[in-house]
Amino acid sequence: MGFAQLVLRNLLRARVRSGLTLVGISLGITTIVALGVITAGFKSTAGAFVQSGGADFMVAQEGAADMSFSTIPETVVPQIAAVSGVAAARGALFHFTRAGSNPLFLLLGVTPGDLAADGPPLVEGRYLADGATDEIVLGAQGATDLNVRVGDALTIDDRVFHVVGVVQSDVLWEQSGALAPLVTVQEIANRREAVSVVHITLASGTKRDEVARRIEDEVPGVVSIVTADDIGKIDSGFQLLDAANVAISGLAIVIGGIGVMNTMVMSIFERTREIGVLRAVGWSGWRVLRMILLEALMLCFAAAVAGSFLGLLAVQAVMRIPSVRGFLEPSYEPNVFVQAFIVAIVVALVGAVYPAIRATRLTPMEALRYE
Amino acid sequence: MNDGRDVVIRCRGVVKAFENGRLRALDGVDLDIGAGEFVAIMGPSGCGKSTLLNLISALDQPDDGEIEVAGHDLRSHRHLNHFRARDIGLVFQLDNLLPGLTVRENVEVPMYGQGLSARQRHARAMQLLSFVGIEDRAAARPPELSGGERQRVAIARALANGPGVILADEPTGRLDSATSGKVLDLLESLRRNQGATVVVVTHDPAVAARADRVIRMLDGRVVEDGSNPRPAVPAAPDARP
Ligand SMILES: Nc1ncnc2c1ncn2[C@@H]1O[C@H](COP(=O)(O)OP(=O)(O)O)[C@@H](O)[C@H]1O
Ligand SMILES: [Mg+2]
Repeated sequence: MGFAQLVLRNLLRARVRSGLTLVGISLGITTIVALGVITAGFKSTAGAFVQSGGADFMVAQEGAADMSFSTIPETVVPQIAAVSGVAAARGALFHFTRAGSNPLFLLLGVTPGDLAADGPPLVEGRYLADGATDEIVLGAQGATDLNVRVGDALTIDDRVFHVVGVVQSDVLWEQSGALAPLVTVQEIANRREAVSVVHITLASGTKRDEVARRIEDEVPGVVSIVTADDIGKIDSGFQLLDAANVAISGLAIVIGGIGVMNTMVMSIFERTREIGVLRAVGWSGWRVLRMILLEALMLCFAAAVAGSFLGLLAVQAVMRIPSVRGFLEPSYEPNVFVQAFIVAIVVALVGAVYPAIRATRLTPMEALRYE
Repeated sequence: MNDGRDVVIRCRGVVKAFENGRLRALDGVDLDIGAGEFVAIMGPSGCGKSTLLNLISALDQPDDGEIEVAGHDLRSHRHLNHFRARDIGLVFQLDNLLPGLTVRENVEVPMYGQGLSARQRHARAMQLLSFVGIEDRAAARPPELSGGERQRVAIARALANGPGVILADEPTGRLDSATSGKVLDLLESLRRNQGATVVVVTHDPAVAARADRVIRMLDGRVVEDGSNPRPAVPAAPDARP
């Protein structure tokens, strides 16, 4: 019998206790995996938006609490366009509203000229006409969800739009939302002469980071968003997700660690005499310690596998919610699973070190006489 | 008493006290046991027999005195676990088998860390189980065995790494006399066939009658040490019927 098999025997002896501990830890891992996949998905979806329409990066209001609250006066757009190194600056206004069954439908206000120049490819119809106020172009998914086609009328926020085109966009928010003239969206959202973000296209031969910094220096009140992680600067929700991720990992370590410690302390307590026997027949303290650590590691490894699996199921369940589906695409980054397994290992070590040391501190005689 | 044989167990002035020195369980024990002897240690309950055996097995340390076993000075020995694994074999009063493991796995336990592969451990455990006559119960768990069977497994486990010294603390204490007899036969055959030194702590005069030397203890001291009134068992295996 191999050493690992012997360790496994010990775990299987107290099936209920090992099982309950496993469930507890795997639920922690489930949360870490689900939240990780969703956070990563949200980041990559938002990252795609930063670069939407072939933009190199975007600019938003400095210190905005949420990306959709970001407000930049329309008059600032030409100022940004004038910064050296900027080839084009295109303002866009977010308006989240109910459409069909989706309570978080994104209506993006854009200048018709910008859309015609840099918009996502059309699958049907045409882009917005210059000067039109009641036209709308839908993302392909948005059109499917709302069951509308080119030529149909679509009412959003009591306003009747004519669907003139359907686009196929890599940016999920556009793909499951819609694009309408900026002036109209400003009116609906009651945010006149404002945009949420400005997408920047660089002049050839310029460096992105330099131009991004120059815009921040020369235009007051704005911040450059170059990567998805930068979105945290203008979206506390983003920061919240990151913080929640760290907090849940930390909690999982603490709670899981205490759970494992409890299980291991009880199991070592009950087996004190057995440990005395092992020492009496020649096992070193180190071998006993290894046995206990390996027990905890096996338990937590099983929990990590089960928790990862449950986490994936949880993501599948969350992705059934229409508003979530239109908001992010899950991103199964290996990092998320690596993090889950690291947390599991830390939990095992935190939980097992104390009982292991306690068990090896006892002399063989003390352990054997233990009642 | 060792008739010029090599001394395998040597105790000099061994003292062991408990309860902050108020209870002197061993009060200056001097003892030499030679290679291949079959020794019974007797005495009333609480006289220190188990304490002495535990010190000889390095499960505990004396407060004073010297103990040398199989050429190892236990005070300065740095790897007592190696000593316990290879040089001695312990049989406890309670069999102390691990209930979660099978009989064979219990016999394998002392073999971990001895450089044997899993296959070698398996083979050696089966060999030992057939030596003690219960290879047919190899896959059973200890709770399914009778007391006598369990004690035989314990003997097989004690022999795992081929020790020269077998130390048994009331190995027949809970067995009926017929079963006791079989366990004793086994211990005797070890001495006879493998030249092992066997030290048995016992209450049972029937056990003592089979030893070739009986040591009597009282209040933590050796009070009598002599050859069995019965003629000593010859050392040569072929000299016995
Ligand atoms: N670990 C211990 N702690 C306290 N007292 C002990 C301990 N071990 C043995 N004793 C005491 O030492 C004395 C000798 O015990 P022991 O060697 O077990 O006797 P025996 O085996 O001869 O019956 C007894 O009075 C016993 O209570
Ligand atoms: Mg005793």
